[in-house]
Amino acid sequence: MTGGTARAQPLDAGHAAFIQGPVSVIVASRNAELVADVVRGCGCRVSRDRRQVTVLIEPGRASTLLDDVAANGMIAVVFSQPSTHKTIQLKGTDARVVPVTAADRATAQRHLREWADDLGRIGYAAPFSAALHGGSGPLAAIRFTPTAAFQQTPGPDAGRPIRT
Amino acid sequence: MPLSVPALRRCFEGAIPAAIATCSRDGTPNVSYISEVHYVDPQHVALSFQFFSKTRQNVLENPRATVVVIHPDTGAQYKLAVRYLRTEESGPLFECMKAKLAGIASHAGMTGVFQLRGSDVYRVESVSEVYGTSLDAPPPPEVDVTTLRTCMARLAAAGDLAVLLDALLDVLADPIGVEHAMVLMYDPSGDRLYTVASRGYAQSGVGAEVHPGEGIIGAAAQARIPIRISHATSEFGYGRAMREDAERRGVAGLVHEIPFPGLPESQSQIAVPILAGERLLGVLFAESGATGRFGYDEEDGFMVLAGHVGAVAALLEEEPPAREDAPPAQAAASPRGSPLRVRRYAENDSIFVGEDYLIKGVAGAILWRLLRAHVDEGRNDHTNRELRLDPAIRLPELSENLEARLILLARRLEERCPTLRIEKTGRGRFRFHVLRPVTLDEIPR
Repeated sequence: MTGGTARAQPLDAGHAAFIQGPVSVIVASRNAELVADVVRGCGCRVSRDRRQVTVLIEPGRASTLLDDVAANGMIAVVFSQPSTHKTIQLKGTDARVVPVTAADRATAQRHLREWADDLGRIGYAAPFSAALHGGSGPLAAIRFTPTAAFQQTPGPDAGRPIRT
Repeated sequence: MPLSVPALRRCFEGAIPAAIATCSRDGTPNVSYISEVHYVDPQHVALSFQFFSKTRQNVLENPRATVVVIHPDTGAQYKLAVRYLRTEESGPLFECMKAKLAGIASHAGMTGVFQLRGSDVYRVESVSEVYGTSLDAPPPPEVDVTTLRTCMARLAAAGDLAVLLDALLDVLADPIGVEHAMVLMYDPSGDRLYTVASRGYAQSGVGAEVHPGEGIIGAAAQARIPIRISHATSEFGYGRAMREDAERRGVAGLVHEIPFPGLPESQSQIAVPILAGERLLGVLFAESGATGRFGYDEEDGFMVLAGHVGAVAALLEEEPPAREDAPPAQAAASPRGSPLRVRRYAENDSIFVGEDYLIKGVAGAILWRLLRAHVDEGRNDHTNRELRLDPAIRLPELSENLEARLILLARRLEERCPTLRIEKTGRGRFRFHVLRPVTLDEIPR
């Protein structure tokens, strides 16, 4: 996969593992007026061929984001590990809302545990992490094909396309 | 009460990074973390611009964006619909954000990586709650209006600058509960700040100097704005170590610098300017060994107190002409014991008692004048007016701050040379007590 192009290549195994790990997931789309909206996610799954990413969000927190995604398919998602600041951003143009599966629900639960552990390492208590994470109730799933990936760890390389 | 930007200030302390979503003109969204969201006023926030990023490119072509912030105690999330207005690359807002970002960077282990390039100012068009949580919000601020009223009444009762500054540090300690604090006065002629009062330090540090722009105190003085750091950072140390050793050693290679007081384990710091109108009188500084000790509410309280102190100090400066009433009947005690050798280096008016540095500059010149009057004329009663008129003292014509220099001198003597003492005997007059005979040596330039 090459950043900035529409040529969809699979994610490399390292990035796929990273975004399914204890990372904060922040999802953005935009409306017809080109105003972006944003919601914190509660986990993510990567398809076996690493060409599709499914991000999970709590619909009650999503405002108009699900409608925006349904209307135009545009998406940007940032994945960042709290304890290390390692951050990448994926973008896609074919995002769609898909039915939530039992595997998605299990992913959100596992994500909360692992992510809360990571936050615990930098001093945040479990009840706080759980409140921030959400996802114990209804979930929504958004699936997209990443067509661009960017390095976003703070530093001089932030914003550079990731080449695989 | 509807949600407002001021109500979200606790979310802007930088404990948990905020996120911003933007959109390019071709319709591609982008989402990015922001290290620092800064409260500007009820309608505006400023975001730290650290890297040339897609976010920046996007807001320049499409200014509408969405910011999500998190309450650091409850985990609740709030959304701000914002519109990019401009970037400030210098000035008060920039300096304030730069200092705060240094603290945030230190907290995040990102010192040297987080560097502020600019303060991006956004208008907040609406605020909404994404969701609330059941976690407890923190207790209300310690510096509430009732507490402030009590403090201000105590400040207003001060009859002179020394009492006023002591009252300020007293009310900070109780009822506000700030244990380590100091007041530095600004000397425009030498362009420096000098410590005149402090609380909670092993050494008072009275006389210790800071240059404008140096550390958090110097930054607050230079930009005339409050500056806070919530986490210890080497970038904004006190400034004492930054000076070259050569500069610390003046005439004859003698050290004539008073060490800056300060907590060795300082984590949180706040410095606010003491202003009389536009004029900088000094800086109030406080610190704590706890992280995140001073928030926006504390900053508000400090600014109100410092503003009041500035106004009262300006009123006290408008001193009536020295009354020619008779000096108090009780005469100064006569000197006894072995002579005290006092040297003055004319180059910078630095005064040494025996081998020990005591003071320099205007306060040094004042002390020398008092000593000469004592030795040459046997005179120990003085008025502020007479000092003002003396060309040898070289007081700057405007904002002379004579009172502050007398406080500095009196306290330095109290700490380092109790043989010499200044006693206030009335408004604008004082008595100089010399308890041992003195010999005076002038070291010319």
